[in-house]
Amino acid sequence: MVAGGPIIEARDVDFYYGAFHALKGVSLDVAAKETTALIGPSGCGKSTFLKLLNRMNDFVPGARLSGEIKVAGRSIYGSDSDPVSIRRLVGMVFQRPNPFPKSIYDNICYGPRLIGARKKADLDVLVEKALKAAALWDDVKDKLTKSALDLSGGQQQRVCIARALALSPEILLMDEPTSALDPIATAKVEEWIKEADLSIVIVTHNMQQAARVSEHTAFFYLGELVEFGPTMEIFTRPRERRTENYITGRFG
Amino acid sequence: MSEARLLAPKLSPTEKGFRLFFLAAAIVALGQMFLIALFLLNEAAGLLATAPLGDFLFSKDWYPTYEPPEFGALALIVGSVVVTIGSSLIATPVGLGLAIYLAFLAGRRKREWIKPAVELMAGVPSVVLGFIGLAVVAPFLQDVLDLPTGLNVLNASFILALMAIPSIASLGEDALAAVPRDVLDASYALGATRWETIWKVAIPAAMSGLSTAVILGLGRALGETLVVLMVAGGAAQIPTSIFDSVRPMTATLAAEMGETAIGSAHYHALFALGAVLFVLTLAFNLLAYWLGVRWRRG
Repeated sequence: MVAGGPIIEARDVDFYYGAFHALKGVSLDVAAKETTALIGPSGCGKSTFLKLLNRMNDFVPGARLSGEIKVAGRSIYGSDSDPVSIRRLVGMVFQRPNPFPKSIYDNICYGPRLIGARKKADLDVLVEKALKAAALWDDVKDKLTKSALDLSGGQQQRVCIARALALSPEILLMDEPTSALDPIATAKVEEWIKEADLSIVIVTHNMQQAARVSEHTAFFYLGELVEFGPTMEIFTRPRERRTENYITGRFG
Repeated sequence: MSEARLLAPKLSPTEKGFRLFFLAAAIVALGQMFLIALFLLNEAAGLLATAPLGDFLFSKDWYPTYEPPEFGALALIVGSVVVTIGSSLIATPVGLGLAIYLAFLAGRRKREWIKPAVELMAGVPSVVLGFIGLAVVAPFLQDVLDLPTGLNVLNASFILALMAIPSIASLGEDALAAVPRDVLDASYALGATRWETIWKVAIPAAMSGLSTAVILGLGRALGETLVVLMVAGGAAQIPTSIFDSVRPMTATLAAEMGETAIGSAHYHALFALGAVLFVLTLAFNLLAYWLGVRWRRG
């Protein structure tokens, strides 16, 4: 991938939950190696859009899609595309920390083992690399065999980040990753996002967070992409009235 | 600085009344358990006057009406254990398979009628299942396998498995359905297939409930009386194959208790059998509890 080029290209995406028209003609390019924030009030479609990027909406009964989404140049909803291989390319961190009820080590190894990694020495290296990348290594290096559920919420969320990173994804999707965390844990996760050398798409309710961590921001409202541009511009000189009303707190 | 006061809430007379009522209920429930156990062990101890414990547990000669009578319970204990193991070999894979099907593979529509149907199956009286064993399974086994009798370990295991499958499937499905959606999503998002997610995440996460389901289903098979009385064949021998007849402890108790003089050696021997059954069932329940606690965390 060329840094700066789009790693995700969405064209005219319409998405329905049964009869509900959840996304209306959304077109959006996500730049590689940068962080893109999706903001907007509850029910605006930002999380729905995020979950389209790794086909997690496939599990929703009655979900229908038109338009095209390309990840790293490949159409992910084409007839020959395979959700499983897409999800290895596009990792995801969820709203609430959801480590498996297994050891920290086994949590990190889950993805690599699915694709056949077996050798202990290789896995050891991978675990250390992933935990270091998630800024958790120093906290847990002496208790890798302990249950991940015994960690604090913030540490659990970083285990989930490390678990996703262990597959070396091109893109990391984050669905309000700090909404269940305390301010200190939130700051650590935000710090990580800013440092990460990875394409990140983050959904957040917290506009300060979007301003702090992202290079680009997309504002969704009632299923439409209202405005998309450099974060600085969205927050200082929004072109649309609705964007301005939202970021100044007039509704939300 | 003044003395700190205890901030206990003041109970109204009604609240005190409720407390007393529930305390009484708890005492009655625990007390009757304790008294039953005490009675059982006390009556069982009477056997020790005629036969040492070792003879009772490890001799296989059960001739309660001979002169002098012999009370070797080994064949009966083995009979119970064999049909329980036999039924577990059938009921565990089928019951857990059904649980996995219901929890993950059946659509919502199918689950909506299969689950109640399975639970209804659990309510079929055991005498009905015993009758099926007697009237359908036994002649079938006898004809097809050319056996002297179709009333044997295989038949009893099969019918007991029919009894255990619904409870294993229903409890197992509850355990699997309780695995948080979040955790399954995490697995899918890491590129796991449905099968990998079931096998590597859902089943380990539900292991405490699943093992409890199996143990409780088998506990039911161990304590079941009517079915084994009807279809196990009733021969007090140690079986050498699954086509031999056996006489489990429960069947022995049911068949012989009515014809025994209260206070006789035979009477005490039957109570001793009851005590063995009690200890085994207790062990099963403790095992279920222990597995439940053990698997709770990863």
